[in-house]
Amino acid sequence: MNFYGLMILTAIEVGAVGVDLSAFAESIGATEKQLTFGILWGIGIPKFIMIAAIFMHLYGDADSKILTMTALFPAFFIIVMIFFIGLTSPGAPTDLPAWCRPPSWL
Amino acid sequence: MMNKRSLIQTFAIFVIIGLALNLAPEADSLPSGIAGQSEKGCICHGAIPDSGVTPSITGLPSTFNASTTYTLTVSFTGGPSGTDAAPFNLGGFNLAVSSGTLAAVDERVKIENGEAVHNGIDDDEDNNGIHDSVEAGGEPITSGNDFTSWTVNWTSPESGSTTFNLAVNSVNGDGAASADDKWNTMSVSVSGPSSGIVAEPLEPADPFVVLATLIIVSGVLLGAVLLYTFYRANPDGFNWESFAPWITGWLTTTDHKKVGTLYFLAGFFFLGIGGIMAMIIRVQLAVPGNDFLTQDQYNQFFTMHGTVMIFLAAMPLINGFANWLIPLQIGAADLALPRINAMSFWLQPVGALLIFTGIFSGAAADTGWTGYAPYIVSETAHTGTTMWVAGQIMLVASSTLTGINFLTTICAMRAPTMGWMQMPLFTWSIFVANLMLFISIPAWGVGLIQVYLDRTIGTAFYYVASGGDPLLWSHLFWYFGHPEVYVVIVPAFGIISEVIATSARRSVFGYRSMVYAMAGIGIVAFIVYGHHMFTSGMSPTLRFVTMLTTMLVAVPTGIKIFNWLKTMHKGSLIYRTHTLWALGFLVTFTLGGISGMFFPSLAMDTHLHETYFVVAHFHYVFVGGTVFGMFSGIYYWFPKMSGKMMDEKWGLLHFLTAFISFNGIFWPMHKLGVMGMARRHHTWFVSVDEYTNIPAEMADWNLFISVSAFLFFFSNFILIGNMIKTIISGKKAPADPWGGWSFEWMCTSPPPTPSFDPHNLPVLHDANEYHESEPGGFTKWFAGLMVPEDDSEVSH
Amino acid sequence: MSGDHGHEHHIEPWGPHDWSHGAPHNSFAPLVMSIGFGVFLYAFANIFVMGGLENISSMAGVMLGFIIITIGLIIWWRQDMSFDGVYEPQGVGAPFRNIDLRKVAMWIFLMSEMMVFTSLFSTYIRYRLGIPNCEDVFLSGEWVEGTTVNCFEPAAHLIASSWFHLAPGAVNTFALIVSSFTIVLALKTAKMSNKKYAKKYDIETANVDAHRSRKVGIYLGSTLFLATLFLTLKLIEWFVGFPTPGPLTDLNHGHSEIKSLFAEGYTIHANAYTNYHYDTSYHGGHDIPTDSALYAMLESGAHPGGMMMADIRVSASTFYVTTGTHGVHVFAGMVGLSYMTFKALRGGYGPSNAVSIEYFGLYWHFVDLVWVLVFPFFYLY
Repeated sequence: MNFYGLMILTAIEVGAVGVDLSAFAESIGATEKQLTFGILWGIGIPKFIMIAAIFMHLYGDADSKILTMTALFPAFFIIVMIFFIGLTSPGAPTDLPAWCRPPSWL
Repeated sequence: MMNKRSLIQTFAIFVIIGLALNLAPEADSLPSGIAGQSEKGCICHGAIPDSGVTPSITGLPSTFNASTTYTLTVSFTGGPSGTDAAPFNLGGFNLAVSSGTLAAVDERVKIENGEAVHNGIDDDEDNNGIHDSVEAGGEPITSGNDFTSWTVNWTSPESGSTTFNLAVNSVNGDGAASADDKWNTMSVSVSGPSSGIVAEPLEPADPFVVLATLIIVSGVLLGAVLLYTFYRANPDGFNWESFAPWITGWLTTTDHKKVGTLYFLAGFFFLGIGGIMAMIIRVQLAVPGNDFLTQDQYNQFFTMHGTVMIFLAAMPLINGFANWLIPLQIGAADLALPRINAMSFWLQPVGALLIFTGIFSGAAADTGWTGYAPYIVSETAHTGTTMWVAGQIMLVASSTLTGINFLTTICAMRAPTMGWMQMPLFTWSIFVANLMLFISIPAWGVGLIQVYLDRTIGTAFYYVASGGDPLLWSHLFWYFGHPEVYVVIVPAFGIISEVIATSARRSVFGYRSMVYAMAGIGIVAFIVYGHHMFTSGMSPTLRFVTMLTTMLVAVPTGIKIFNWLKTMHKGSLIYRTHTLWALGFLVTFTLGGISGMFFPSLAMDTHLHETYFVVAHFHYVFVGGTVFGMFSGIYYWFPKMSGKMMDEKWGLLHFLTAFISFNGIFWPMHKLGVMGMARRHHTWFVSVDEYTNIPAEMADWNLFISVSAFLFFFSNFILIGNMIKTIISGKKAPADPWGGWSFEWMCTSPPPTPSFDPHNLPVLHDANEYHESEPGGFTKWFAGLMVPEDDSEVSH
Repeated sequence: MSGDHGHEHHIEPWGPHDWSHGAPHNSFAPLVMSIGFGVFLYAFANIFVMGGLENISSMAGVMLGFIIITIGLIIWWRQDMSFDGVYEPQGVGAPFRNIDLRKVAMWIFLMSEMMVFTSLFSTYIRYRLGIPNCEDVFLSGEWVEGTTVNCFEPAAHLIASSWFHLAPGAVNTFALIVSSFTIVLALKTAKMSNKKYAKKYDIETANVDAHRSRKVGIYLGSTLFLATLFLTLKLIEWFVGFPTPGPLTDLNHGHSEIKSLFAEGYTIHANAYTNYHYDTSYHGGHDIPTDSALYAMLESGAHPGGMMMADIRVSASTFYVTTGTHGVHVFAGMVGLSYMTFKALRGGYGPSNAVSIEYFGLYWHFVDLVWVLVFPFFYLY
C-alpha cells in the first residue's frame, strides 16, 4: 500500500512541474513558481513520513517510539545549521534591525 | 640464552637502526624539497638564478689590511638588460658582507641594513622610453637602476676573513617584475690579518631539514623502543618467527585495549612532532627580526603545529583513554563494533601520512589549521594543502566511525542496573564529547570535500570571482570547530572529576550538576561558534546572538570548577602525581577560562583577536586544560593499563618542571598580546612607532618564552622516560592502587581479554547516587517509549 | 589462556570468523581499507589540479586505491560470510533496551548522515538565496551582451523546462522507490519461519532453504539492478544525453536529441554560460514578460538586447556535488548489495539473521528519503 502511495505521490510531483499551472495559480493569486513550490513541499512531507514510518519501521514496532526519538535527536542541530548557515548572509551593520541602530543611520 | 641465529638477527636490526639514524639527516627530496637552500636574491625575477648573467666584483685585495677602506666596483654582464628601447632601468644589485662596513660613494647606491643596494627610482612608469620627469617638463632623474656597474666603499675589519655575497638583477626595463628578468649571485671570500682563531661562519640550518630529520629520528627511536619492548617481553624469542605473529597481532587487533594502546602510541608520537614544530617556531620568535624561518616557512609551521596538535595528538590521546576505559568503566566486554573501532584507528595514521606529504616535499599547507577560504582554494596556497585536506577527510571518517562506536557502546552496553546517573563521570564526558563531535563533524567533512573538489576538479564553492562565499567555509568549519574545542576539553573534565574524587577519598560533589553542566556545554557548543567570526563580516544579528550565548558558557564551566573545589573541601586529599596534575589543571584551566571571557564581548574581541592574548588563552585551555588533564589521567590509569606502578619521584619532577615552564611560556603572552604583538606573524620588531609599538622590554619576554618553551618540551621527556622505566622495571600494580570504585578497578591490572565475560557481566550494586524510589514524570514518559523489559522477541 | 573467561582467541586476520561469542576478532580489513582510501585520495588529487587535467597517469593510482579497498572489503566480507545471527548482542538499559546493537549503531550512523545532507542543503540554501537568480537578473535588464554576470542558475530551470530533460530524473525517482520495495520484500521473505514459508509456497519443508535463498537473492539482485539503473541514468543525464524517439521529436521542439547537462553548458567550469532562455531574440522576444523591467528597457531602446552570459560555476557546483553525494551513497549501497546478493544466493539469510537485510534496508531507505528532498529541490524547483 505504502509503495503504491509513494508511486502516486511522485507522479503528482512530476506532473505539477510539467503541467502548465499558470492559469490556476493566477486564479488563487499566486505565481506559478509559488504554487509549484507549495505543491512540492506539500507532497514531499507525506512522502518523507511514509518512507520513515513504514519502510524504516518507525511506526508500529515495539522499538518504534524510541528509535523515532533517536531519529529526531539531530532536529535541533539541523535547525541551528539551517538558520545559522543557510539563512544568514553577510551584511554590514546597516542590516541590523532598526531598533539596534543609532538613529542617525536611518 | 639467545641462540646464534637470534644473535645475528638482533645485530642486523641494530645495524639497520644505526644506519637509519646516520642517514636520516641527509634525507631530502628534490627538486623543490627540503634541500632547497635559502637563496639570497631577488626571486621576484624568477625562482632560480640564471647563469646567463655574470656578476663580478673588482677592486678587492687578495688579502686585506686591518681597518682599510677599499673602493670596490660591482658590475654584471649578460641577461635581458638593455633589450628595451629605453636607456635606463637596466638592473640592480645587492652586496652583503660578513664583516666590515659598506658605504655609498655616490647616490647611485644606498645602504640598507648594512647591505649595499642600488638606489632605484622607476622614472618611466608608463614605459614609453622617455623619462617621466622629462615628460613632466623637468630634468631627467638618473638613478641607480639605470646602470650596470656601481662603486661601493668597504672598510675592512680588524681581522678574520670576509665573505662577499653579491646578487645582481638584469632586467628588461619594462618596469614590471616578470619571468623575463634574470638574476644571479656570486660569493667571494677574502682573508685578512689572523686573529688567532679563525671562525668559520656556520651555514644556517634549513628548518625543514631540521624538522624532517627530527621526524625521522623520532620514528626510528619509536621503532627502536618498540623492538626493545618486544625483546624484553621474551629475550629468547627475539626472532622473525615470534616477531611476525606479534606484529600481525598489533596490526590486526580489534581488542579495545590494544587499539587504545595504538592510539596512545600515535598520540605521543605526534605530540612530540607538534612539539618539535613549536620549538622551531620559538627559535624563530626568540629575537626580533629573526630570519631562521622565512615568512612562507613560518606559515607552514604554525599550520602544521595546530593541525598536528589538535587532530593527530589530542584526539588520538583522548581516543586512547576512551578505548581503554569506556568498556572497563561501564562493564562491557568490548566496544559495540570492534572492527569499526580498528578502522577508526587505522584511518588516522594514513591520514597523517597524507597531511605530512607536504612537509616532505617542502610545500606543506600554509593555510592555518582553520584553512580559511578563499586562500585555501587559491593557486597561491601550497600544493601540500590539497593533501592536507585529503588527510583531514580521512580523519573526519575516522571520527564518524568512532562516534558511532562509542555512542552505541555507552547508550546500549552499560552493565545491568547501571543507569545514566550511575555512570562514572569520565564515561559521561566521553559520551558528551563524542556526541558533539559526531553531530558537528559532518559539516566540516562536507566543507573539506567542497574544498578538495575545488582544488582538484575545479568546482567553484569558494571562488569569489564566481560568487562563492568564503564565509560559508568559516561557518561550516566553526560549526564543527567550536564543538571540536569542547570535544578536546570535556574528556579532561571527566578525568579530573575521577582523579579529584578518588584523591579526596569521597564521591564527587554534585554528581548530577556535573552531568547537567557537561550536557549543557555540549548543547551550547553548537550555538556559540559565531564568536570565532566576529571580525569576518558575518551577519550582525548572528554576531549579537553568539555574543550572548558565548557568555553563557561560563555558567556550566563555573559549576564544574566549584564542584571540584567542593569535592576537595573537607575531603582528605592524598597528593599523588595525578592529584598534582589535577590541581595544576584547576589553576591553569581556570586562568584560561577567565581570559576566554574577554572574547565574547564584541568590542573587546575586535581589539584582541589578532594578538598573542588569543594564543595565550587557547594554549592555557588546550595545554593547561586538555594536556594537563591527560597527564593526570596517564599517571592515574597507567598502573591499570600496564600492570606496573609508575615512579612518583619522577612524576613529581615532571609536574614541577612542566607546570612552572608552561606558565613561563604562556603567561607573558597575555602581556605581549595586550601590548599589541600580532599572532600568525613570522617575526616581530621592537619599535617606538605609534602604530606598531612593541616596547623594548618585549624582546626580553620573548626570549624568556622561548627558553621556557624548551624547558617545557624537554620536561615531558621525564614522563616518557618514566613510562619506559615503569614498563621495564616497575613494581607490580594491585587491581586498585588508588582506592577508586568504578568498574575498571575491579579487573586485574592489566585487565583480561575480553575485559568482562560477555555471558557474566558485572552488576552494579552501589553507586554514588541513590536510586530514586519514585520515578519522575519524565522518567515515566521516557520509559513508555522504550521496548518492554521482557520483550525478547523484538527483532522481526 | 588464563584470564579470558574461558574463550579461545581467534587470531584469523584473513579468514572466516567464529561469531559464536564476542570480541576480539583480528582482521586485516581495517588496515588495508585505510591504506586504500589514502592511496585513492592521494592519486585523485594528482590527476586534477585546480580544475585542470594535470597528470592522467595517476589514474593508475586511483585504480590501485580502488583495488586495495576492494581487497579490504573482501577480507571484511569473508569474515562476515559465516555470520548466522547466533551471537547478536542486544542493548541493556535505557534507552535501547532489547534492541540489537547493530540496529542502534545503524540509527546513530543515520544521525550523522542527516547532518551531512543538512550541510549540503545549507550550502544550497545560502547560495540560492544569497546570489541573485539568473532569470531575475535577465529580466531586470542589468546586463550587457558580452560581459559575464554572476548569478544563480538552478539546474531545475534547465531540467524542468522539458519533459525529456526531466525523464531520467523522474524514472530514477521511481526506480529508487521500487528498489526500496524490493528490499522490503527480501526482508519479508528471509524472516518468514520455515513452516510458514513451506505453507505459503506449497513446498516441502526440506526444500525451503534452497527456495528461500533463490528468492531472497532475486529480490536483492533486483534492488542492485535498480540501483545500477539509477546511476546509469544519472550519468546519461549528466554527460551522455540520449536521442529522442522519432514520434516524440515534435514535442521536443523538433530536436532529434536531448543533450546532456554538460552538453547544454551546465558545467562547473561554465564562467560564460548562455541559454536560449536568456536571449532577447529567442522567439522574437515573445518570451519576455511584458511586465518586466527588461521589456520596458527594450521598448524604450534603453537596452540593446542580445544574449546574457552568466558565470554559473557556483550553481553547477552545488547541483553536481549535492546530487553526486547522493549518487555516492547509492554506489556505496550497490557495493553492499552485491555482497548481500552473493551471500543470499549461497543461503546466507534465514529467519535467524534476516535482520541484516533490515539494517541494510534502513540505510537504503534513508538514501531514498534523501532523494525525496533532493529531487524536488534540485530537479523540479
